[in-house]
Amino acid sequence: MPSQHQLRRRSAATTPLLLGLLLLTFVLVALGLGDRAIARMAAETLIRVTMVVGFWIFVGNSGVVSFGHAAFGCIGAYVSAWLTLNPAMKAALLPGLPEGLAAADWPVLPAAIAGGLAAAVIALLTGAAILRLSGIAASIATFAFLAMVNTIWANWTPVTGGTSSVVGLDRYITPWVALGWAFAAILVAALHAHSASGLALRATREDEVAAAASGIDRYRHRLLAYTLSGFFCGIGGALMGHFIGVINPDGFYLGLTFLMLAMLVIGGVGSLSGAVVGVLALSIAVEGLVRLEKGIAVGATTFALPPGSQEIILAVAMILILIFRPAGLMAGREVMLPARWVARRGT
Amino acid sequence: MVLALEQVGVAFGGFRALTDVTLSVAPGQVVGLIGPNGAGKTTCVNVLTGFQRPTHGKVILQGREVSGLAAHEMRRAGVARTFQAGRLFGGLDVLDNLACTGVGLGLRRSVAEHEASALLNWMGMAALESRAAAGLPYTDERRVAIARALMGKPRFLLLDEPAAGMSEAEAADLAALIGRIAAELGVGCLLIEHNVGLVLSVCTQVVVLDGGRIIEKGDREAILGSRAVREAYLGTYAEAA
Repeated sequence: MPSQHQLRRRSAATTPLLLGLLLLTFVLVALGLGDRAIARMAAETLIRVTMVVGFWIFVGNSGVVSFGHAAFGCIGAYVSAWLTLNPAMKAALLPGLPEGLAAADWPVLPAAIAGGLAAAVIALLTGAAILRLSGIAASIATFAFLAMVNTIWANWTPVTGGTSSVVGLDRYITPWVALGWAFAAILVAALHAHSASGLALRATREDEVAAAASGIDRYRHRLLAYTLSGFFCGIGGALMGHFIGVINPDGFYLGLTFLMLAMLVIGGVGSLSGAVVGVLALSIAVEGLVRLEKGIAVGATTFALPPGSQEIILAVAMILILIFRPAGLMAGREVMLPARWVARRGT
Repeated sequence: MVLALEQVGVAFGGFRALTDVTLSVAPGQVVGLIGPNGAGKTTCVNVLTGFQRPTHGKVILQGREVSGLAAHEMRRAGVARTFQAGRLFGGLDVLDNLACTGVGLGLRRSVAEHEASALLNWMGMAALESRAAAGLPYTDERRVAIARALMGKPRFLLLDEPAAGMSEAEAADLAALIGRIAAELGVGCLLIEHNVGLVLSVCTQVVVLDGGRIIEKGDREAILGSRAVREAYLGTYAEAA
């Protein structure tokens, strides 16, 4: 007879599959509606799932809020652009690129992976310094990192194009490509959370001092999660670049940072499901409100919200969630099959 | 094969929390550490477990100086501790609380959970396995904290006021448990307690601290007969009154 603890562990293994099914349903419904704008919204939402799940790997398990993850998106997006843009175009737009990059004409998949890896390497190097700090000091340092990356990218004009946008990225992101990466992020996040390192990291989140007394090297586990997290935010950035086709350093700055934080807070930082649900809820709400602003025709009359009300309604919704459901929509729970079902299958 | 402080001093700015403290614990031995509030007992534990670097003197573990090791390194070297406040990982269940120490010591998660389960069984707490750590009754919280510290068979266990707030009967159960930990597991225990009766009932050696200095050391009779100890305790009572 397996213990309740074991049953819970087994149920937890169903979480990534259920989340994957949820996202699959989302894509099928979005494509089924046959509206191009909705299909685009679905792809964009799934890119955000990749980023926010990546973000959650670090923030959710360590309890340390990071303001720096949008910068990993920036790195991923530019690396993928450097590797995939037409060399002739790069010679004109980005004359300062080193020869290897200037001549590169990579297929999109390896370029996205390279973008993720580059972000992960930067996460490893900067995390090695930042994560020596504890709690709030580390959070502030991640914010400084975000500002540094933005400043470098905005001024390193020969290599990054500076504040003017880099254009002409291959727009290959369909909802299916985005779904593949979102699912990969969810799977890796779940595997990490269930690993020994994930458990050790959650112990440091609960109580740093007791974790040290349990032999846990906080720094090591945080750095691992930060690097993994940087990888998927880098991937997310690359996808975003190829989704819009145009990238700009300010597309990966405060706006994105706060959007990612808002999604995590609304869904609930305490669980992986919270990260996914937060992205879906906020993306669908924004899409709905944007449509309402444009107006809905009912018979001869058109009802429309005044422009700008989208932001206000969202702000009010966030405040209400913070007041009435401070742990987020999922409140730390995961979607999983009930233990009874898993027990029957397992025995 | 002992855990020891050699002439350790700790100063926080101008305040000397410990002065010239020398003490040792051997495997299987239960040493008591008593003294009035503010005597430096917890500072002693912090120095022995790597949470506080000594300003002077050395921490010795099995003949090796370990004064510079970090807290998690001391735990891996075999020196475990509990805290005055239970400090369980509130969001995790009891089994995972123990498993955290297992993975902290480098075990795989499944191996850690297996050992955790066996240890809870040994302590008669198997029924608590799946309970959330937050919201456990007070005595259970203390016992889980001790179980968590015992993961991976440490050589030494430092208990910081484990009986605080317990009834006489609960304290007696705790005394029996500490006796078993020393006798059956061969763990050397350092017991910090205000409950002097508990200390005298389980400890073979007692060290008395006052004002950061050791004022007496010895077996039960030596402590009970000591004038210095009486004065230290009566002094605090007098000040309190």
